[in-house]
Amino acid sequence: MAKADVVAMILAGGQGARLGVLTKYIAKPAVPFGSRYRIIDFTLSNCANSGIETVGVLSQYQPLALNTYVGNGHPWDLDRNNGGAYILPPYQRSGRSDWYKGTANAIFQNKDFIDDCDPLYVLILSGDHIYKMNYARMLRDHISTKADATLAVLEVPWEEASRFGILNTGANDIISEFVEKPKKPESNLASMGVYIFTWEVLRKALIEDEETPGSSNDFGSNIVPMLLKQGKKLCAYRFSGYWKDVGTISSLWEANMDILDRPEDINLMDRSWRVYSRNPVKPSHYIADGATVINTAMTDGCQIFGSVEHSVLSNSVTIERGAVVKDSVLLPGVTVRAGAYLNKCIVGFDTIIGEGVRAGADVEGESPYLNTKICTNGIVVIERGLKIKDHSVIPANCQVDCDRPVPAEKNVIEEVFRVRKT
Amino acid sequence: MFIDAMGLILADNKKITLGELSKPRALAAVPFGGRYRIIDYMLSDMVNSGIKSVGILTLNKYKSLMDHLGTGASWDLDRKNFGLHILPPYVNSESMGVDDADEMAGLLDFIRSNRSAYVIIANSNMILNTTFNDFVDKHEQSGADVSVMYNRDGIKYGVPNYIFEIDRKGYVKDMLFNPEKTVSNRCSLGIAVLRRELLIDLIADMIARGERNFGVHVLTKKFDTLHIRAHEYKGLVLRINNVQSYFNASMLLLDSQVRADLFWTGMPIYTKVKDEAPALYLENSSVSNSILSDGCRIMGTVENSMLFRGVTVSRNSKIKNCVIMQDVHISENCELENVILDKNAVIRPGIKLVGHKDYPVVIGKGAIV
Repeated sequence: MAKADVVAMILAGGQGARLGVLTKYIAKPAVPFGSRYRIIDFTLSNCANSGIETVGVLSQYQPLALNTYVGNGHPWDLDRNNGGAYILPPYQRSGRSDWYKGTANAIFQNKDFIDDCDPLYVLILSGDHIYKMNYARMLRDHISTKADATLAVLEVPWEEASRFGILNTGANDIISEFVEKPKKPESNLASMGVYIFTWEVLRKALIEDEETPGSSNDFGSNIVPMLLKQGKKLCAYRFSGYWKDVGTISSLWEANMDILDRPEDINLMDRSWRVYSRNPVKPSHYIADGATVINTAMTDGCQIFGSVEHSVLSNSVTIERGAVVKDSVLLPGVTVRAGAYLNKCIVGFDTIIGEGVRAGADVEGESPYLNTKICTNGIVVIERGLKIKDHSVIPANCQVDCDRPVPAEKNVIEEVFRVRKT
Repeated sequence: MFIDAMGLILADNKKITLGELSKPRALAAVPFGGRYRIIDYMLSDMVNSGIKSVGILTLNKYKSLMDHLGTGASWDLDRKNFGLHILPPYVNSESMGVDDADEMAGLLDFIRSNRSAYVIIANSNMILNTTFNDFVDKHEQSGADVSVMYNRDGIKYGVPNYIFEIDRKGYVKDMLFNPEKTVSNRCSLGIAVLRRELLIDLIADMIARGERNFGVHVLTKKFDTLHIRAHEYKGLVLRINNVQSYFNASMLLLDSQVRADLFWTGMPIYTKVKDEAPALYLENSSVSNSILSDGCRIMGTVENSMLFRGVTVSRNSKIKNCVIMQDVHISENCELENVILDKNAVIRPGIKLVGHKDYPVVIGKGAIV
């Protein structure tokens, strides 16, 4: 392995259970986002655009989609002779084997990989945030402040501060304390889950943490407090700009809508900081005579005969004549048949919405699919690979899951296709 | 899909010019169909047939072609063995001119260094989605020296055209260039297959005789001495013969059946990936019967048009029957009808441009109107 001054490790093994059926077969970082992208594209593109060329992607939960998507790293220019993208799953070893127990344990289990790169610094990232950030600038600060660790922080509104991991800082933004979701926050600097460590310091800390009984092996709750206790120098790096954790259905929906409502914020059109993605190889999209498309983002392979308003369409979506789609997020390959109505829906890969189906936030009725734990704010989520029966009614806050037992007369699923799991 | 063949694509055609469109670039590099260049179709056909070695013969102005093709990675032709080879013209260091004889020798070397049994040679003005496996099989079974492809609706795309006359056994007995009187409706597709060993002999012989031109029809002209079998292709073919047929072919893509035959056959057309953002349709957009690509920002009205990647149509502008290439910017209050706009053109506010559907206005690359 070639030597690298800095190695990025992307934590991409989490299930993302709060995304419900969207993460039934694929890990959260591989969930499609923003018409052309998968969530992990933002982090991978940040690495590529920041000039970081050795990137480990730690996968664990349902890794097939993520592994095939990242592949050899070619779309992000990470197919390097020196460095490149490496998928790092948990593995069996003589004596004992472990799943990744926590974020810190995942890095601990891959310390041989990092040692072989022999870096001075390690960048710890998570694969489920939407933001554009130049890590090189943060690294420059880390070096000039001679910190042992630098944590990227975002000023959040005070009233929301208790939802985040908050960093209390002193002079020169030196961190004095890390508090997870404080009831009475002393600061509004939220940790973004972006850390730079001097490898020597982190390496020692990981080994110590591993030997600490009862530790949950987590960066936020264990490693950072331990380093603070040891009197290490931890600095905050202030980031300003768009950043969003898309851990829940409503935040995923909101982030998609931000592309339409606040296009300057994430600014996907910025050619000096492109967000790269694996290309689906489809022709340009087609808008038919009589179709209406307003306030919408869409990409290759779409064919629109009906009406779309304020929605985000992934590749190869077909909307038939007379269908109406509003405030929705349609993932690749979805077909909406004639006369169907969708409002605030997130529809999974290749699902066919039958003729005259009514689904969404302003649809009333009772349904066994109601799931207010996953679906909030009226959003309806429909699993991938389903044919939804013609004229079904799916009211607000429902999650259509083919594994959910429902009485036959209330079942809206006509057929479950064997669809791609990537 | 297994095929024991290599490909040769002729990126230019001395008989075809597309005016302003082919002024800055080789014919093969002219954008066509939203996110593609003309060569993408033939190159994808070859790759989809299982061909792993393709040579691209260029005449001149091949910079944009080389930019587009790169290492061939988009077509999976970035290979250790064979892959994509661009064969630029051979410039003699003493005369500083292009030396055709040396060029032929270079081509001969390239073909010799290959190991495939067959060579498929293709011009680059045909847009079709096909595979050549059946064509090669039929050629092999027929025992002919060379097989060429034709179809029967070529006349409607205008000149230039090579017309085949064939005998009862399906062999070419005559070939005519733009005949005044229609002798046959069998129009050449400019695609041929022959054994690689035979092609080596033929090129060596041409060099020895001082012949300096190479191409599908140069070979077909040898119907007196070679057994040349004509094979009818029944699928969709769009021909790019001149600006008018380029415009018509672009407009044909607005037909759902044409798009299905060209793009949704299960065999993808590959092209260079640009990583543009998704297309954004904003508040006041009104779009009908049009093809649009990633990176477009639409605030105005678009009708019966083809927009390539990164096109901006500003407020209160109206686009009708237009082909608008990559990164064109159309300002506010413009009205464009029957116009072809080449890459990076800028239309200033309030401009009105109207062409005729049989004679579209062409605005050159980077022009500011």
